[in-house]
Amino acid sequence: MNYFKRPTPLKRAKLWLSLALPLVALIWIAAHFAMHDSRVYSSGRLSNPHAVFETQCAACHVEKAGAYSAKAENSACLACHDGPIHHAEQTRMPNCAECHVEHRGKINLSAASNQSCAQCHSELRTNGGAAHFSANISSLENGHPEFRAAATNHDPGTIKLNHKLHMQPIRSAPGGPSVQLECFDCHRPPGVTKPWIYADGKYLGITASYTDKDQFLTASSSSLKARNPATGRELMAPVKFATACAGCHLLTFDKRFDDGVPHDKPEVVHTFLMKKFGAYIATHSNELHEMQDPSRDLSGKLLQPRMRTLSAPQWVAEKVAVAEELLSHKTCAQCHQMTKQNLPDTSIARWSPANVAAGTVTSIANLAAGGNSAGMIGAVAPANITLRWLPHSRFDHDAHTGFTCVSCHAKALTSTESSELLIPGIATCRTCHAPGPNHAESRCFECHTYHDWSQRKEVKPAFRLPALHTGGE
Amino acid sequence: MKLDSTQRTWLFISIAIFVACLAIYVPYALTAPKGPTGGSALGLAFGIVGFAFMLFAAALGARKRVPTWRLGRAQAWMRGHLWLGFLALPLILFHGGFHFGGTLTRVLMWLLIITVVSGVFGAALQNYLPKIMTNDVPLETIYDEIGHVRRLLREEADRAMESLCGPLGFKYTSDVAGQRAGGFTAMRALTATTVALRTSAAVSAGASVATAVAAAPEIILLNEEQSAPLRRFYLAELRPYLEQPKRSSRLSEAGRAKSSFAAVRTLAPASAHATITDLEEICEEARQLSLQERMHRWLHGWLLVHIPLSLALILLGAVHAVMALRY
Repeated sequence: MNYFKRPTPLKRAKLWLSLALPLVALIWIAAHFAMHDSRVYSSGRLSNPHAVFETQCAACHVEKAGAYSAKAENSACLACHDGPIHHAEQTRMPNCAECHVEHRGKINLSAASNQSCAQCHSELRTNGGAAHFSANISSLENGHPEFRAAATNHDPGTIKLNHKLHMQPIRSAPGGPSVQLECFDCHRPPGVTKPWIYADGKYLGITASYTDKDQFLTASSSSLKARNPATGRELMAPVKFATACAGCHLLTFDKRFDDGVPHDKPEVVHTFLMKKFGAYIATHSNELHEMQDPSRDLSGKLLQPRMRTLSAPQWVAEKVAVAEELLSHKTCAQCHQMTKQNLPDTSIARWSPANVAAGTVTSIANLAAGGNSAGMIGAVAPANITLRWLPHSRFDHDAHTGFTCVSCHAKALTSTESSELLIPGIATCRTCHAPGPNHAESRCFECHTYHDWSQRKEVKPAFRLPALHTGGE
Repeated sequence: MKLDSTQRTWLFISIAIFVACLAIYVPYALTAPKGPTGGSALGLAFGIVGFAFMLFAAALGARKRVPTWRLGRAQAWMRGHLWLGFLALPLILFHGGFHFGGTLTRVLMWLLIITVVSGVFGAALQNYLPKIMTNDVPLETIYDEIGHVRRLLREEADRAMESLCGPLGFKYTSDVAGQRAGGFTAMRALTATTVALRTSAAVSAGASVATAVAAAPEIILLNEEQSAPLRRFYLAELRPYLEQPKRSSRLSEAGRAKSSFAAVRTLAPASAHATITDLEEICEEARQLSLQERMHRWLHGWLLVHIPLSLALILLGAVHAVMALRY
């Protein structure tokens, strides 16, 4: 009758397993304890850069009474890394481990969560009065304002360029073949070394008298310096005449010469012209005696041929004036805003009756005497080229090379005025950068830097390799 | 334990607890700067509640050791074990923020997952298999007695064979009035050969011993030639099957067994048919015992995984709790 008390094989197996398995677990834990191996209690694997500390809990966790503190101390992080502050006006200084969460496996430690940033930026307060930035940003999707540049929708640049025209088949030169320009033919990051298709060798090696500083707008001073050095492929370099324009836009000034004027300041151009015409007339003195070409009468009437004789300086001054008139009114003005037109009476070159009667020209005489060393080309407005449209963030064109330029800069296909801003707005970014598995990274760190690495201090090394291997000094 | 409408209250309570925890977890996970971690206040709270549920579930084993103690109804304990034990999994996942963490915590998470999954599997089996057993094993006996009953069935078959074919050299461990499982005597009065014949099927089916005896036909001893096919079949197939039922045997499948017996019946004289029918019934009962055995292994085999792992889980969970709170 006591059959139910007899152990069946199933009951026996259950009993033994119930004893054996907890015992194995106990032995496993006890073995780690006996070997002072705390790894088993670790809340997760360390990231790759810290993998050498996998067995060195004390490197980050302070040991108190034989037990390690749960939280890594800031001093442990700062022993190897400097962590410059974000902004001098920030009201809260988070601990390193609040944003850089370790023991999460092989993750990117610098990839802080949006919540880390939102701790301050969702309700931004500063020690220095009102915040300069939007005060309620939680993430790219929540509260992030439109890019300031895109919101103003205005390009302060003064270079006149019809993007629509340049995106269509276009003649490369008068009488030249039609070409289809690619964005890359004009816009490239400085790190790209591929030869320029529409460059002109005459201009490439020449040092101009103006500097980039005169032409570019300075980037916002509040932008934080990134930690890693730039690759030179992040942002587009400003478009230069020598590399992108000179192949088609010739700066010719007179039919006597094949080459054009230098792409430089007006006074440089004037000096060039004076020298060029001076050298020419020295070897072509017969051109000082001129007979007016009837066909040049604008009224269409056949006029009696008129003769005149000029001195060499007069001839040079007149030709320079005519060339400068051409450059100022057409060639330069095609792309540049000429803010000052100080051309004198250019009828001197038009055989005005007064000039013919006099056999000479007063104004030309003045010019020849060196009355105006800057010439007659108006002042050229600074190009005001914006080097960095998103000064508070990092954008890397190189990371987006798989996409066509017009995917983001769609307005380039239709823009006819250079004042139209062609950088995309935040909505374009959000089409790819969004939360979820089917989207690109959208957390704050993707574009923004927390630590201001311009404030970086050098760190004195604290570890020796043998110490890492042996677990102590 | 049967999963029926009586579980509704526990189901609703469990859903309510889960939804409440989820409602707390989601905003916490979305707003926590470091993400959800076990060391945060809410993470710790989830961990403590989850571990408490695990302890309660584990206490069922201890409760079963003292069935006479007035500690609440066993049914309530079992339901609590089932539902709170199941809830421990999502709560512990909330505790760790769905990260498995380091070595110990990873071991703990897998132990918990396997324990819960094996428990759910066991609960499903216990809900499903008893119905099948009621239908397919009408001759169900006490599991621990299956070996004994199987031996009695074999001896019963041996006696029937010797009554028909003469002495075959079998040895018996039980007397004629063999005691059957559960302590009842299942026998009937014998025919001319005074050999006890099997009546368990009739008795199990509700017939009285007297009725079974009345139905027993007269048995005539067969000569060597007449009994040869039956003896061959018995010694080569039936008896080995009764001693050690194997699934590879054709007698383990009802349809094929029926064909086998029909073939034997064709070769044997009509006077042996009653005994062959009896042998067929013995075979059927042995087959049902095998099926019961298999179902029993399924019904209780999962406990070989569930109980040892849950004990290891509780032990290591306690170590984890102490170490986590200490550091």
